[in-house]
Amino acid sequence: MKFNLPIFDIKNLSFIVKGQRILSNISLEIFRSEYIAIIGPNGGGKTTLVRMLLGLEKPTSGEVKIYGKKLSDFKEWHKIGYVPQRASHVDSSFPATVLDIVKMGRTSQGGIFSSFNETDKKLVYDAMAKMDILDLQDKMIGTLSGGQRQRAMIARALASNPEILILDEPNTGVDVASQKNFYALLRKLNQEDKITIVFITHDIGVIADDIARLFTINEKAVICNDPKHLLSCQEMSELYGIDAHLLHNHKHEH
Amino acid sequence: MFEMFEYDFMQRAFLAGIIIAILASISGTFVVLKRYSLIGETLAHSSLLGVAVGLIAGYNPLWAAVVFAVISAWIIEYLRSAFSLYSDAVLSILLSGSLAAAVIIVSLGGAFNNSLFSYLFGSILSVTYEDVVTIAIFGTLALGTLLFFSKELYFIAYDEEVAKVSGIKVKFLNFLLVSVVAIIIALSIRVVGSLLIGALMVIPTVSALQFRVGFLKSVVISLSIALFSVILGMTLSFHFSLPSGATIVLCVLGIFILSLIINNRK
Ligand SMILES: Nc1ncnc2c1ncn2[C@@H]1O[C@H](COP(=O)(O)OP(=O)(O)OP(=O)(O)O)[C@@H](O)[C@H]1O
Ligand SMILES: [Mg+2]
Repeated sequence: MKFNLPIFDIKNLSFIVKGQRILSNISLEIFRSEYIAIIGPNGGGKTTLVRMLLGLEKPTSGEVKIYGKKLSDFKEWHKIGYVPQRASHVDSSFPATVLDIVKMGRTSQGGIFSSFNETDKKLVYDAMAKMDILDLQDKMIGTLSGGQRQRAMIARALASNPEILILDEPNTGVDVASQKNFYALLRKLNQEDKITIVFITHDIGVIADDIARLFTINEKAVICNDPKHLLSCQEMSELYGIDAHLLHNHKHEH
Repeated sequence: MFEMFEYDFMQRAFLAGIIIAILASISGTFVVLKRYSLIGETLAHSSLLGVAVGLIAGYNPLWAAVVFAVISAWIIEYLRSAFSLYSDAVLSILLSGSLAAAVIIVSLGGAFNNSLFSYLFGSILSVTYEDVVTIAIFGTLALGTLLFFSKELYFIAYDEEVAKVSGIKVKFLNFLLVSVVAIIIALSIRVVGSLLIGALMVIPTVSALQFRVGFLKSVVISLSIALFSVILGMTLSFHFSLPSGATIVLCVLGIFILSLIINNRK
C-alpha cells in the first residue's frame, strides 16, 4: 500500500553531538497507512531519530520532509499523535485527571475561542473507550499504575484524531495481557482506521505479522521490507554490523 | 467588624488586595506547575531594581518596575530555553543580580530611600485611587491573556515537547507567560511588597495541589485560598495594627499547613 507522497521523507540524516556520531547518513521514507516497527539496541538512536522527525531535535546534516514540506513550513501538527518514551513518568502531584490529560489532545484544534464542543467531546470519549479507560476518567493521573498511565497517554494522542501515530516504547512496564490488547488495538487502528503507525519497540516477535516494514537503528539504519522473513532481515542486519540479538531472541520465543 | 470599610483607604486597600490575590493565584498556578516557583521572587527583585532606577532617575517607579521585570523575564526564559540551564539556577542568578544592582544604585543615589523601603514590604494602606485603577486595568488585561491561553499553558506545563508536537506555539507562549507574570508582579509590589508577592503566587497553588484534584478545581481552590488569606490578613492587620503584607503571608502559610494536615491524614 504505497502512495506516491511519503508522509515522512528523510534524506542523509546525520546527528553528531560533541564529536560522537549518534546517527549516520540515514535515508528512509514512511508511507501512508504503513505500520513501521523500529528496533535496535539501547542507545542506538531510535528516540533521537523520532525526535528529529518531529522537529524536537535538529539534525547535524540532512533533511526531513513531512507531507512533502519542510518541518518549518508544516502546520498541520494535529495529524500527528506522539507518545514519548518517558510519557508515563508523571509528577504525582500534577493536578490532572485522566480526562484532563486526554482533553489535552484537543487543545491545538479549533482555535482559542472555540470551547470544548461536541466533536471534541466525542473524540475524547472515543479515545478513552478505545484505550479502555472510561472508568478511570476522574482518577488523578498520579495515582494510576504505569500501564494505566500509558493508556491515558495514548488516548491523548488518539484524541487529536491523528493520521499518524508515533509511539516510543509505550508499553514498557505493561502486563502481558494488556500488551496483547494493545497490539491488537494497534493492528485495528492501522488496518481499519488506516492510521500510519511508527512503533519503537523491543517486542518485535509478537507484532511481526502486523507490521509492514521493520527499521533497525544502530547509528545506521537497516530497512527490512519483508519482516515476515525475520531471519533474512537478521542476516542483513549482521551484514551491516548491527546487533540483531533482539530479533533473534524473539524468533525463538514464538 | 465592618467599621473598617468606613475608611476610604481601607476600601482601596481591600480592592487592590483582592485584585492582586486573583492575579497572583491564577498566574501562580501555571508558574508552579512549570516548576518556576522562584520566578515571583526573582521578578519582584528585578522590579525593585526598576523602582530604584526610577526613583534615582526621576521616572515613574511603577513603569520602571514593569520595564525591568519584563526584561528580566525575557532574559530568564531565553537563558532557560537557549542554554537548557536549570531554571531554578537561572532564577537564582537573576534574583541576586537584580538585588545587588538595586542596592548599589540606591547607595550611589544617597541614603536608603524610604520609598524604596515601601516597595520592599508593601504599604497597602497608602494605596491611592489611581493605583487601584492602574492595577485593575492592567490586571484585567493580564488575567484575560492567561485565561485566553489557559488550555495551551496547561498543556505546556504538563509536557512541553508533546505540546510542541501538537502544534502549540510553545516558545511564544512561554515568553507570553513570563511577561504577564512580570507585569503582575511589578504592579503588585507597591501593595504587598517584593518580599511577599512570591509567597502569594506560590503558596495558594501548592496548598491546592495537596487536595489532589483536577486542573479546574485546583485553580478554584488556589484562588479561594488567596482571596481568603488576603481578606483575613487585611482584617487582622487593621484590628491589631500589624503590617499588612506580612500578615497576609502568615495567613496563607497557615492555610498551607492546614491543607497539608487535612490531606495527609491516615
Ligand atoms: N541532545 C543530545 N545530547 C547528547 N547526547 C545525546 C543527545 N540526544 C541523544 N544523545 C545520545 O544519543 C544516543 C542515542 O540515544 P537514543 O535515546 O536515541 O537511543 P534509543 O535507541 O532510543 O535507546 P533506548 O532503547 O534506550 O530508548 C545516546 O547515547 C544518547 O546519550
Ligand atoms: Mg529511546
